[in-house]
Amino acid sequence: MTQKIKDTIVKGVVYLATGITLCVLLFIIGFIFIKGIGLINWNFISRDYNDTTFYAFVQESNSPTTLDEKVQENKSDYDKKYETPLEAPVYVESIGAEITKVLYKNYTTEKEQFIISYISKGSPLLSAVNSNGTSIDVSTDFVLESVNGNEFTGMSTEEVKTLINDQSGELKIKMVEPGGGIRSNIITTLYMILLSLVVALPIGIFGAIYLTEYAKPGKIVNAIRFAAECLAGIPSIIFGLFGMAFFVVALNFQISLLSGSLTVAIILLPVIIRSTEEALKTVPIAFREGSLALGATKLQTIFKIILPCAVPGIATAVLLSIGRVIGESAALLLTAGTVAQIPGTLFSPGSTLTVQAYYVTKEEGNIEMACAIGIVIIVIVIILNILSRIASDKLNVFNKE
Amino acid sequence: MEAIKRKKIKEKIIENFFLICAFVAVVSVLAITFFVFYNGLKPFVSNSYPFWNFISGVEWRPGSNMYGIFYMIVGSIFGTLGAILLGVPIAILTAVYIAEMADSRIGKIIRFAVELLAGIPSVLYGVFGLGIIVPYVLKISPMAQGESLLATILVLAIMILPTVVSISETSISAVPKEYREGSYALGASKIQTIFKVVLPAARSGVMTGVILGIGRAIGETMAVMLVCGNPIAGIPTSLFDQIRPLTTNIALEMGYASGVHQELLYSTGVVLFVFIMIINLAVNKLVKTKVGS
Repeated sequence: MTQKIKDTIVKGVVYLATGITLCVLLFIIGFIFIKGIGLINWNFISRDYNDTTFYAFVQESNSPTTLDEKVQENKSDYDKKYETPLEAPVYVESIGAEITKVLYKNYTTEKEQFIISYISKGSPLLSAVNSNGTSIDVSTDFVLESVNGNEFTGMSTEEVKTLINDQSGELKIKMVEPGGGIRSNIITTLYMILLSLVVALPIGIFGAIYLTEYAKPGKIVNAIRFAAECLAGIPSIIFGLFGMAFFVVALNFQISLLSGSLTVAIILLPVIIRSTEEALKTVPIAFREGSLALGATKLQTIFKIILPCAVPGIATAVLLSIGRVIGESAALLLTAGTVAQIPGTLFSPGSTLTVQAYYVTKEEGNIEMACAIGIVIIVIVIILNILSRIASDKLNVFNKE
Repeated sequence: MEAIKRKKIKEKIIENFFLICAFVAVVSVLAITFFVFYNGLKPFVSNSYPFWNFISGVEWRPGSNMYGIFYMIVGSIFGTLGAILLGVPIAILTAVYIAEMADSRIGKIIRFAVELLAGIPSVLYGVFGLGIIVPYVLKISPMAQGESLLATILVLAIMILPTVVSISETSISAVPKEYREGSYALGASKIQTIFKVVLPAARSGVMTGVILGIGRAIGETMAVMLVCGNPIAGIPTSLFDQIRPLTTNIALEMGYASGVHQELLYSTGVVLFVFIMIINLAVNKLVKTKVGS
């Protein structure tokens, strides 16, 4: 009887522990989604982190467009987002748009500025071009700074309206596209994934081929296995230190996309070697014997028989690697920098999504944005998880046949 | 004859090429060790900073040429120890549930959850820690800030869960069925079987998981950096004291350090590296004994 009670208690403890594990996961994901979801919209994905200032050339059209009263009543998109305009919005006929004076706050500055709060259908702003002649997507919440060299600082909304309407011909408007987005980080992350895979994938796969197909048990194989295990156990900050000493300083690659991706490539090696090796091991030995018996050389057997069979396993390796690159931050902090920009060359810095999440949390205390980035990352991680499951199922199905 | 010979040479060349690729891993480990140690031991070899002051000092003030990391070592060890004490029991019990008690559907769901937990980047754990754990710790803390040893322990305990769970679960599942059947035949209950027969049989696998968990906890940087407080001096004496683990010391200052300061950050890396090496060797030994038995 006492044994039964004891068992029930222990069982309860086991359930409790499992419950804690599940709750922790739900809690973390819940926290990140609740905190970050408010920021997720198309602008967040499509805009850069930093504001971009540019000149828009607008052909003034002196056909005053009428503002749809209903739109004004319903409040424009802008008003919904930023609740308190400093002055009532004013419609400027010559550019076919409504402007509003608002107080702009960010983590470091606070200033008054004029923003476009509504653009009517026939507005010449919609066919605006930049100095290179490329067309610009002007949208609501862009900031207006000056027209034909006349700064708006300190003016009232009415004065700005008169100023714009007084100009004639082509208007040269200085605009600011507000930042706060993660486009550059997404692109840097993609570059980082691509570059590190290009380096690590062939090396890892060929290494795994050597270990499974050629190597005879002995000192060399043991050394390679031990090295791969060591690499898997080294924390990423040490990789960062190495990348900094070797790629950044000794090879003089600077803190850059190249240094970052090479460092990450080393981190990926053990992942790729291990999963490829496992995939190669699942290919039945009879396949090899059959191929060799038909007169194929060892190389032909490897490339025409074994590797095609191991493709799902290699796909798993790629997916795991992508997850690893996306999650990597400490090593990249030291080797690729924290600048939120699209790296123009291999030698310019750029921050990936996770580094950016760290940066906005640590330097700006902007947890909302970090969580919004977190949502993007978690969605990607879930997709990768599901894909790799499908890939490994494929591998298993093949083996059953 | 000639063609076959040429083919053979080609095969040999490619085999060697494969060998070189496999050797990249070895070269990388050697290069990492060399570069970190070379830079890290420089200040002691050239006598620009005495080793004893470095290893035993309790203040890190680059401005006044004081670089002591003893309090960081203590912080790293306390943080890791706490995380292990808190996280490992939960992780092992979860593994027991998945492997022994759950029906296959629920087991699959929990396994997926654990995999997801492993896939969340460490920065996000830090953000979570800063957003939830730190404010909560602040509420119960006698100190003026929530960033503390306790917050670090909680975050690390969560982070080692997936590692320990998945490795323990694999080794528990690998225990032969006969062990369980034998135990049942002797009249033991299911719980008794799990805790007296299966778990001891899976001991070395579980230990491997725990040691890998230690490795992850001691090497964790980004999550810890956001919740530990990073003070410039002081050995932590209570759970609410701030700590500055070795890893965050490197990550915080590497961006702008130069000269002796930078070299001593590498030295911090060397100390961390030594810890990790010991852990790696322990894992290696454990895995070998498992194969041996």
